[in-house]
Amino acid sequence: MVKQISQEELQEIVKSVPMLSPSASQLLQVTSRADHDLVDVINLVRNDAKLTARVLKIVNSAAFGLINNITSIDRAISYLGERIIVGIAVGDSAGKLFEKELSGYESAGGDLWKHDLRTAIAAREVVTQSGVDVSPELAFTAGLLHDIGKSLISDYLQGSVADAVEMITTDEDLDYLDAEEKLVGFDHTRAGYELAKAWQLPDELAEVILHHHEPANASEEYRTLVYAVHLGDNIAMMGGFGTGSDSMRYKLDQQYTDYIKIGPKTLATIMLNVDIEFEKLEGSINGPGEKN
Amino acid sequence: MGQIVLGVGDYGASNTPGDDVKTFALGSCVSVIFLDPKTRTVGMAHVALPDSSINKAKAGEKPGYFADTAIPALLAQMTKFGCDKRGKGMVVKLCGGANVMDTNDTFQIGKRNALAIKKILWSFGMGAVAEDLGKNYSRTVSISVSAGQITLSSPGKPNWQL
Repeated sequence: MVKQISQEELQEIVKSVPMLSPSASQLLQVTSRADHDLVDVINLVRNDAKLTARVLKIVNSAAFGLINNITSIDRAISYLGERIIVGIAVGDSAGKLFEKELSGYESAGGDLWKHDLRTAIAAREVVTQSGVDVSPELAFTAGLLHDIGKSLISDYLQGSVADAVEMITTDEDLDYLDAEEKLVGFDHTRAGYELAKAWQLPDELAEVILHHHEPANASEEYRTLVYAVHLGDNIAMMGGFGTGSDSMRYKLDQQYTDYIKIGPKTLATIMLNVDIEFEKLEGSINGPGEKN
Repeated sequence: MGQIVLGVGDYGASNTPGDDVKTFALGSCVSVIFLDPKTRTVGMAHVALPDSSINKAKAGEKPGYFADTAIPALLAQMTKFGCDKRGKGMVVKLCGGANVMDTNDTFQIGKRNALAIKKILWSFGMGAVAEDLGKNYSRTVSISVSAGQITLSSPGKPNWQL
């Protein structure tokens, strides 16, 4: 039997998580501002020798198949694009959280990072294919971070998988979010939101983390972004990249059509593009798995 | 004793006793399984999308990815093991094709995959004798070549046979 997490315990858990590296944190701040420039990203990376080395190593890795090595950080960043830079910085900085085995969901180590990367790519694809007025790069970053709460509550959910599945199978009104809340007192969106606050993430990212299963509750300002990640999350799970026991076991918010217009054919194209892009990125920016 | 693991869009077959043909975490993807009792060959395709017309290049490179190209590719693969090229005598089973909780049709890719596969099987004069399709959970499938037995698993549920 699992036990409930009190509000104080949740704060303790959040406190025990290492802070993001200064450059990862600043990259998240800068790239979520609508008026930022690639130069801002370049300047941030340049001031972090370790990150610079990582970026250069990745751009010259086999995955990108360049004939001539890139040795300048400016060119490396222009070539990779800011979403990959953010991915590398976050992956390196909070790698342990992403790489962790989610035993409370019967999900192997590394599954969360793959799910997050798929969600990030899918959210970006949803934005570009539907043509909504949201930054594709921001959708990518938000997708990368949306499920961070799962690594906080996973240990507490250990041994609960059969109960959770039973709970939502017997009552069709419930989804996995309800199961988490009933079992440990918080669902992964609430836990993730507490971490977002501790990490002082920009509001739009915190909103995505808190509302990615119920985008209608997000503030109007960020709602389309939250819907994009909501759809991206579902697309990742449909493609076979969930995090174990909760995969496909959430409600799809039917109001998405008011914010994002996609038909069956566009969705098929998005799913295919996600597979293609994921294959390319997985081996390269898979920060947590391979270091230095 | 080997394990043949098929990823998204892969297809493969084996007649080696002791082998397992396996695919992990089918979401909306559908696993098409051909069992040929005569040659004791097991084949599977991990189909991701219903229709190859959205990307012919991808279909050429990975025919198992789309329902309309996966079935002929898998049949051709089976003939390498001495199976009938029209699939005569083969037992067909389907599983996967889950859908997220949705009343809107757009996200029912699992359902569209299953329908497309059945239509194409029908055009080859084939039909599935058993299926475990739909619902809202992911499935891992493992087939033992020796026994022709299909085992499905999903976190939080006891394993079951198809």
